[in-house]
Amino acid sequence: MTDFAGLTSVLGSTLGAWYDFRDLNNLQRLITEWIADWGPDWLASIIAGVLGTLGILGVIGPTLLILIWVERKVIARFQQRYGPNRVGPKGLLQPVADAVKLILKEQLAPRAADKLIFFLPPVLIFVPGVLIWGVLPFGPRMSVADLNVGVLFLLAVSGTTVLVIFMAGWSSNNKYALFGAMRAVAMSISYEVPMVLALLTLVVFSGTMSINGIVEWQQQEDVIFILLFPLSAIAFFFAASAELNRTPADISEAESEIVAGYHTEYSGMRFGLFYAVELGNTLVVSAFIATFFLGGWWLWGLDQWVPSWIILLAKTGAVYFLLIWTRGTLPRLRVDQLMSFCWKALVPATLLFVVVAFVERTLLISEGWDTTVALPIMAVFNIALTLGAIMLFARVSRPAALRRPARIRMAGTEIGGLRAARQVASRTEEPQFQVGGD
Amino acid sequence: MSDFGFHLAFWSLAAMTLGGASMIMISRNLIHAVIWLVMSMLGVAGLYLTLSADFIAVVQVLIYVGAISVLMLFAIMLTPRAERDNSQNMKTGGPAALVVILVMISTLWVAIDTDWGAVREAALTEQARLIGESLIKHYILPFEIGAVLLTAALVGAIALARQDDEDAAVHASSLQAELEGDASVDPVDVVDPPIPSDGEAGS
Amino acid sequence: MIIGLEHYLVLGALLFCIGFFIALSKKNAIGVLIGVELMLNAVNLTLIAFSRFGSAEVALSTQVFVVFIIAVAAAEVAVGLALALVVYRNRQTISVDRTTLLKG
Repeated sequence: MTDFAGLTSVLGSTLGAWYDFRDLNNLQRLITEWIADWGPDWLASIIAGVLGTLGILGVIGPTLLILIWVERKVIARFQQRYGPNRVGPKGLLQPVADAVKLILKEQLAPRAADKLIFFLPPVLIFVPGVLIWGVLPFGPRMSVADLNVGVLFLLAVSGTTVLVIFMAGWSSNNKYALFGAMRAVAMSISYEVPMVLALLTLVVFSGTMSINGIVEWQQQEDVIFILLFPLSAIAFFFAASAELNRTPADISEAESEIVAGYHTEYSGMRFGLFYAVELGNTLVVSAFIATFFLGGWWLWGLDQWVPSWIILLAKTGAVYFLLIWTRGTLPRLRVDQLMSFCWKALVPATLLFVVVAFVERTLLISEGWDTTVALPIMAVFNIALTLGAIMLFARVSRPAALRRPARIRMAGTEIGGLRAARQVASRTEEPQFQVGGD
Repeated sequence: MSDFGFHLAFWSLAAMTLGGASMIMISRNLIHAVIWLVMSMLGVAGLYLTLSADFIAVVQVLIYVGAISVLMLFAIMLTPRAERDNSQNMKTGGPAALVVILVMISTLWVAIDTDWGAVREAALTEQARLIGESLIKHYILPFEIGAVLLTAALVGAIALARQDDEDAAVHASSLQAELEGDASVDPVDVVDPPIPSDGEAGS
Repeated sequence: MIIGLEHYLVLGALLFCIGFFIALSKKNAIGVLIGVELMLNAVNLTLIAFSRFGSAEVALSTQVFVVFIIAVAAAEVAVGLALALVVYRNRQTISVDRTTLLKG
């Protein structure tokens, strides 16, 4: 009879408080508690896991379909086009049509491909893409796993994507696929450094590695981290958009250079899976930027009235729009420009802010400064430091042509390329032009 | 965790670890070997989780899967015409097997035969914090030496792997000559030849 | 059957032996490095097993030790691969059998 009572209690409490959808965890907890009454432990934990996963997948799947439409439409607006507008009202059914087309297409594999490794990546790339969602807190108690090493878990899981991309590019046995894969690998291991350093600032300052802990710290101190560490936020944004291979940094799939990069040889739904995961990763990265730097599910007391996950989704949408904006407006950078930007600008800047965070944390903890007074002062100081750093960078990295007086360029160098330029340069005593400057 | 779940996790992870390691042993393609190594490392990370060492598990994934394997792949890619082949040396294989079997027997003997005493039931909690504190408090000197070692390794690796411009030119021209001399070489092949007929893993 | 310390120790020993065999018998320098990494992992696994099941005093120090081993392993791989690159550049091979310049 306990089963029946448990069932009615679940129904009663969910129905009785059906409007209390601020925390979906309530529902899940009730279900697992009811199972724990009569069932074995492992059944409860398995069902909890399945529910969490289904919840995540249920959010991701439809969101992705909508996001494809949103992204294409917004980019079209940036570029003064209409975007998809044929299938369905306002082109809303375009993603569905695309998906159907991709599923129906034949899936080709190159004859010389390394078969096993070629077939694995479209499946494997889903694993980190879904795992990352597990540590994202949608609310005070709404995350599948609130690890106390959450930040580290996030970095570790996102780091494994690189390997899958390499497998895809290498096994295709295609020159361009390999180029794309190597570019992706080089980029993402370079940009991981500023990403780690930017997160290290937060971890040092808030004193916790749990992602929910970082949000709760922001809630306690009534401040969002983008005000305290703006440069870390900017660096994280750049690094994340580089890791995602989005347009300002999408050299690994630059269609004007290397066809489609590492997924050149993937056709049909295999390509579709890569595409879906890429979009999903963009979404989850926006969610994490919102969580780390914009306060996540918390917004100055508004989370008392509005469900926390709606706040998070709103912030995620804002960050996602910013990502689309950069993609729609910025031109693609070269490999060397991206690398030097990472190592010469982002890494020193984020390193500087790690030191700043150490000092300020020491002032707060050891010296016992009052947070209500100290935090605004630190915020102002850090914002000033950020502006100074950005201006310094702008001054140093100004194109050489702007810094020195213009000289007459020789037509031969433009036409003959590097070799002609070297020959001309070796003939004259003073080279009158710069060869291959940044 | 329940007993059944724990058993399932342990045995499958152990199979994954040892299976990956054995596949490295018999795999003849170096890139396959690295991918099997990754599988083995992930198995070890999962075993750390069953030992409730979550911090170490995450660090394992971060460093071995995210960094070391990628570094190895880079090195393989940067040695283009060297053999991708990962086969055994037949001459030393026999004696090596002998030594290894001796080591295996002795270690297994020690592991099984020794009385390891009472088993502690409770696992360590808050490991990240504890490890961090002891690194800063008790092990500050090794910690600093480790930092110096890593810096030295970084600088040393860069200094070793750095190619002067002249060297690079010589290298490129020799590669070019090799290319031109061997007309049958397909450009795609030069970039990277996966060994197609590997005969492993049902490919 | 309860899975205890011995299971992990046996697993670590087997993993160590596989790594040892790979390190001794592979021709390719990178293959040898892979073997060494496996051996280090086996040792780490053993240490973590002792950290979990052993006495309370060693619980923390073994984990710290593992952290150091992982750091040193990363440094070792970086330098080892750089060495492999240099050897390749000079000898056009990274087979450990054919780099026998010092053999009289």
